Amino acid sequence: MTPPVAIALAYGIVWGGVLLYLLRLRRRLRSARAEIPPATASTAKARETLGVR
Amino acid sequence: MRPVSGLTLLAAGAAILAGTGLVFGLILSPPDAFQGEYVRIMYAHVPSAATAYLAVGTVAVASLLYLWKRRPAYDRVAHSAAEIGVLFTGLALASGMIWGKPVWGTWWTWDARLVTTAMLFLIYIGYLLVRELAEDSERGARMAAVIGIVGALDIPVIHYSVSWFRTLHQPASIVRGDIQIAPPMLMALMINLSAFFILYAFLLVLRVRLARLEDARAAAALGETG
Repeated sequence: MTPPVAIALAYGIVWGGVLLYLLRLRRRLRSARAEIPPATASTAKARETLGVR
Repeated sequence: MRPVSGLTLLAAGAAILAGTGLVFGLILSPPDAFQGEYVRIMYAHVPSAATAYLAVGTVAVASLLYLWKRRPAYDRVAHSAAEIGVLFTGLALASGMIWGKPVWGTWWTWDARLVTTAMLFLIYIGYLLVRELAEDSERGARMAAVIGIVGALDIPVIHYSVSWFRTLHQPASIVRGDIQIAPPMLMALMINLSAFFILYAFLLVLRVRLARLEDARAAAALGETG
């Protein structure tokens, strides 16, 4: 394995892995926010804590 | 104008440091006398491993606090950090294997550092499985907390494995102020470490927020059925 291939593979896996996890996290957050009943996050403080806009 | 949130600052800090870290790691730092260009993998591998340590440390502290105080907030932090810990341990193992193939001539060897790191990976996969499979979520959280604390004992074993055992893995380059690494390489390493630590804080805040939402959703569902 030549250095450019090994370096590209290592950085691709590390940063690709982080990015995939972040995207999955954002998708799960969106889905959880969409499913939460409005009454549960009705106060301004609760909405801020839960990140519900 | 809306005030900038802490989360946005963390994201911006991680992005800026990660970009700078890539420039230093891939372009500005010199090749190593023995490893040549392959040393650049170290700037992704070492921060991944250090972030895994940090995540496991968070799991241990939050689990201890949960067992002591029984506050769900501590459990949410422990669960979230464990998930991120599994991610970074996996990334450290994968990047280490990619480095090992050209430098050691093998993807894997039964070396003490590698084996203890793989054990850490498996322990925290077990932690996540226990949580998923437990029928009683509180009991699952308690069992997971014990696993989280016991699993963290692997961290000093991993760290000192290169001193305690005869290993193929090189010893630590920075030991209590004794730095055996060239300044430009140290600079690249420190920038990347900072980037990964801030990224970890960002991911942890997001993941804890998700855990809070999931708990609120579960409580709301219980309220509807009960």
